[in-house]
Amino acid sequence: MSVDSARETLYHRGEADMVATIQNTDVKQEDAHGAVVVAVTSRALFGGDDDDDVSGVGVAFPLLQALQRVNQRLLEKDPAESLLFDVVLITTDSQQQQQSSRIVSSTRHHGLEVSRFCFSSQEDFIESLLTNNVQLFLSTDRNEALQASQQGVLSALLDRQGAPSEQLRVMLCGDAVVRPDAGPAPVSRPAAESFSSRLGEMRRRFGALDSPLSIVLVTSSGDRESCGVALRTLRSRGLGVDEAYCLAGAPRSPILSLLRPHFLLGDGVIGLED
Amino acid sequence: SRENAETDPTMHPKPENAITIGVSARVLFNMEKEQHIYEQQGMEEYIKYQVEHETQPFSPGPAFSFVKALEAVNTRLRELYPDSEELFDVVLMTNNHAYVGLRLINTINHHELFIERFCMTGGNSPIGYLKAYHTNLYLSADPVKVREALEEGIAAATMFTPEKMTEVSETQLRVAFDGDAVLFSDESERIYKAHGLDKFFEHEKAHENKLLDHGPLKGFLEALGKLQKKFYAKGQRMDCPIRTYLVTARSAASSGTRALKTLRSWGLEIDEALFLAGAPKGPMLEKIRPHIFFDDQLFHVEGAAEMGTVACHVPYGIAQRVIKRETHDKETSSAPK
Repeated sequence: MSVDSARETLYHRGEADMVATIQNTDVKQEDAHGAVVVAVTSRALFGGDDDDDVSGVGVAFPLLQALQRVNQRLLEKDPAESLLFDVVLITTDSQQQQQSSRIVSSTRHHGLEVSRFCFSSQEDFIESLLTNNVQLFLSTDRNEALQASQQGVLSALLDRQGAPSEQLRVMLCGDAVVRPDAGPAPVSRPAAESFSSRLGEMRRRFGALDSPLSIVLVTSSGDRESCGVALRTLRSRGLGVDEAYCLAGAPRSPILSLLRPHFLLGDGVIGLED
Repeated sequence: SRENAETDPTMHPKPENAITIGVSARVLFNMEKEQHIYEQQGMEEYIKYQVEHETQPFSPGPAFSFVKALEAVNTRLRELYPDSEELFDVVLMTNNHAYVGLRLINTINHHELFIERFCMTGGNSPIGYLKAYHTNLYLSADPVKVREALEEGIAAATMFTPEKMTEVSETQLRVAFDGDAVLFSDESERIYKAHGLDKFFEHEKAHENKLLDHGPLKGFLEALGKLQKKFYAKGQRMDCPIRTYLVTARSAASSGTRALKTLRSWGLEIDEALFLAGAPKGPMLEKIRPHIFFDDQLFHVEGAAEMGTVACHVPYGIAQRVIKRETHDKETSSAPK
């Protein structure tokens, strides 16, 4: 793809307040209706040690690899599959924006399939999430994730974790799935429900064993009944759960290294260590 | 509020304070039919069957009466020590997929069991979770998992289903232990296996005052003893809802002394010590009627189960080397538990 033309686009539009999206022509653009669009920030993806020409990878790297593996397995089953993950990289950091070509080439260098690169200011990044129909936004910055969530975009925090798994592991917080006396439903609830349904559909393409993705439910403070309600609720949203842990008040941290989730979905934004 | 202590999760004991007992689904409930479907038709059919029968509770398995007895002890403890977290905490620790979860939860509800914690690992090993939550005892039908747990320092045993269920007490928990390679190390058994019975008696007599090393279930006996002392402190020695038994092939006249001296030096009491001098354990156990019996020798475990005792095999020590050679072909780790 032409990075020069990408740069030109930015300069031409006086990049300070504008949002620019560049398609990566090296990667097949997914069917807009079929794909599950996942956005990740550059800061989350490229946080590691830098080479001269290439950025080192950060916290989001194993996640992207896991998403790609799911896509591969889906396409193995059905080469015409349209229910795939579609990854968008969001860059809001102005320093990183100066190095847009470096971002693109680093992505390629690390073998990552990013279909679109979005460059926007910190103030406007939510606009790029909405225009790109992002169904899940992942960031290492809690404020960013909260902002997006408050605008109705399902968001999750990426935390540094131990040895990541090859299998995509999505953790859901049971206490957040069902809150009987909560006030108005969170703004991101519709997005959460629709994402759950798509994820569930994707999960059903595979059998109980040897699946490239696993749905893990953890109920931290609730009792077995509330875990049961969470299981039923998720099932009604079309999402089957693979592993369920009901802790009834026991701390979650001793088992986080065993659960190895890539991220945690809940109402609002919850960090893995919260 | 006090009356919600059993079901209020905020009152649920912290893992480090409680005596945590991990039980697999197949020992807590009778899942023979479903296990058969899994073995004959595979995982997908098994899960389909489970989901179709989601509202049908399982009937009790071999560990059921043991768990009920643990709850009876908890009730008595709560009466005497309302603010204490030193209670039994039963955790369902299963390899099953969460697709089976609702049926398991419905079954727990149906039988009114006080199990609020569970781990359904969807095929992953439960061992890490056992460690993370300070599990004091792990019971499973899968010998491979049990061995893994023992290797990680967790007291564990493979539970067998007795051929008939002897009626057991609903108010007094009774736990029976073999001595060598269960409470004690297998050092003496090694002598016996290598040199025969006479040498064994000689050796034990000569080392009468030398303490035996501890075995994998010493810690569990210790935990039971700690709870017993809480009842004694409130003047309930005669009425104590926990009773422990040593059922050993050692003989009272000779080799038994070393066992008793060792227990005493560990500060552990055992309520009844039965020295069988090599006689079969089945009939004695049938009289005692323990909720659970631990032995390292399959021969004794099977004999006990034949006579109606819930017997568990502790695959520890020298006795296993012989068994391993004979049965390694037959041994499999079967997944839904």
